[in-house]
Amino acid sequence: MIEIKNLHAEVENKSILNGVNLTINPGEMHAIMGRNGSGKSTLSNVITGREGFNVTRGTIQYKGESILEWSPEKRALAGIFMSFQYPVVIPGVNNTYFLKAALNAKLKHQGEKELDAAGFLGLIKEKLKLVDMDPKYLQRAVNAGFSGGEKKRNEILQMLTLEPELAILDETDSGLDIDALKIVAQGVNQYRDENRAFLVITHYQRLLKYIEPDFVHVLIDGKIVRSGGKELAEELEEKGYSWLDS
Amino acid sequence: MNISDFQSEFDKIMSRTYFSEKIHPIREKAFSQLLKVGLPTKKWEDWRYTDLSSIINNSFRISEVQDGPPKKIDISNYTIDNTDPIVIFNGHYQEDLSSIPDGVELLSNLEYLEKNNWEFKNPDLSPFDLLNTTFMDSGVSLVISPNVNIERPIHLIFISSGTESLMVSPRLHIDVGESSSATFIEDHVGPSSSFFQNTSLFISIDVNAQLDHIRIQSNSDKMVNMANQYLSQERDSRYTFFQLATGSELGRLNLHVRLEGKGADCSLNGLALSNKNQHLDNHIIMDHRVAHCTSSQNFKTVLQDNSSGLFNGRTIVREDAQKTDSSQSNKNLLLSTNALMNSNPQLEIYADDVKCSHGSTTGALDNDSLFYLRSRGLDPLTAKSLLIRGFVTELLDSIKNENIRKYITDRFSNWLSKNTIS
Repeated sequence: MIEIKNLHAEVENKSILNGVNLTINPGEMHAIMGRNGSGKSTLSNVITGREGFNVTRGTIQYKGESILEWSPEKRALAGIFMSFQYPVVIPGVNNTYFLKAALNAKLKHQGEKELDAAGFLGLIKEKLKLVDMDPKYLQRAVNAGFSGGEKKRNEILQMLTLEPELAILDETDSGLDIDALKIVAQGVNQYRDENRAFLVITHYQRLLKYIEPDFVHVLIDGKIVRSGGKELAEELEEKGYSWLDS
Repeated sequence: MNISDFQSEFDKIMSRTYFSEKIHPIREKAFSQLLKVGLPTKKWEDWRYTDLSSIINNSFRISEVQDGPPKKIDISNYTIDNTDPIVIFNGHYQEDLSSIPDGVELLSNLEYLEKNNWEFKNPDLSPFDLLNTTFMDSGVSLVISPNVNIERPIHLIFISSGTESLMVSPRLHIDVGESSSATFIEDHVGPSSSFFQNTSLFISIDVNAQLDHIRIQSNSDKMVNMANQYLSQERDSRYTFFQLATGSELGRLNLHVRLEGKGADCSLNGLALSNKNQHLDNHIIMDHRVAHCTSSQNFKTVLQDNSSGLFNGRTIVREDAQKTDSSQSNKNLLLSTNALMNSNPQLEIYADDVKCSHGSTTGALDNDSLFYLRSRGLDPLTAKSLLIRGFVTELLDSIKNENIRKYITDRFSNWLSKNTIS
């Protein structure tokens, strides 16, 4: 689904990614682990096309096409989604209005009929149940006054609504208590299927107890230094990262 | 046009036979005072950021009978459901298009002055008030008796039209009687290509009465719209003000509130949207003169292109005004690097047991928010529109009357869609 080759990227002229190679196939769940500053979030921002993250070398192919020149919305409409580490609060913009606009942008892009208010409400109510969210959140401004856990659930709600094929979960577990973590993990797990791929970016091993990865990669200084199965995450928990430092 | 250039227009208005001679001395006195003080210059503290060149470099004449509507005018674009319109076209009252709700008395200036024993309200004597007094023409006075609830909003529509450089000086009074309530919409519209309207509006709200005032300035952006407004509130009275300003080359609201009776509550909200070379000003004086009053000011501006704006809000809490609860907020969104906003919220507190807050922020659209919306598939234009809408929603939602809220929201949406935000 996505093939990243020899990816180098810099932020404010500082080199952050130094040759990342990563291939994710449909149906796979990959986890990237690493310390703060290792380049994890830079990788997700580069994939989603955020301004200020400049690719200096290498390629990213999504479904066989190079996406480096694509705008963020083009990537989104093509099926790439990121659950933000820090979801943005947007005062005055109603959550329903925002979600409906986003979904209809996608439906329109796919040449499908856009949903009216009633059609959208029917759909969103089902999705809300999956992440155990009260319908009252729909009437609030996007993420305004949401707790950390509510914000992350709102991200997963957006994922379930927009139905991306590649979902990047950037530090989705940070700031969550164990109950919220279980709900978020449950939302992700039941979205897994053979056509969808996931990239889970995390600092901690604990999320991976609930979302079981097929592959675990360790990122140090902007390079993947080791890859393995889920047992690698357990090993990291035991030993820390220092045994991998060169 | 400098102040001495008004002399020929003054001579014209004094020779008009259809104005009562009783008003002549008032005009004469005001004009001689005006000649002494002159128009404000940038050296005047309150006028530092207001460029009056669109008045000074133009030559306006007073509106004549022939400047009235050439044929029957269509006001369907301006009407609001379930409201009673009063139409003034280039300074001329259009009786056939106007209707007055029961319980409201509509008086001419002369009738109003006679009713009030020739007591003339002109508290501040600013140059533009003097100019208004000198040339006052379209006088509308609305008097609401005590103990009535006027359910249908009164919709005063000022239409400015044509290519002649006209100067119109409406003199308005609104008196709300004890324990009465009313809604007043002051709507400035029309396609004029050069026009100077200098309005003086005096509102008094008696004990326990309420007025909801909506001011819409959506006239042409070639117009100068100067609004001089004075409000005095008695005990336990309530006043709400909402302004949407999108029109005028130069638009300035001078709003002076005097809270005279304990328990009075005053809430001022304003949204200014400017583009091209427009300049839109708000000058507020909120004067807490007695104890136990509450006031709030919430003004927002969205600026595009080379436009500029000003918020100058001064809240005064007098020595006797203990237990005052007052807030003041000014937030501005710059959509262009060439736009300029000056914000100056001020507090002057002479009492010691009060709760007062003020704050101001000015900035561009937030890049993180834009990226967030785009990462969900929204194109940049939609994302920006959504954020601008979000910025103003709170203000639009504060309008209680549903028909009026819809009318104003439509005007806002219209502005948003016309302004290419690249």
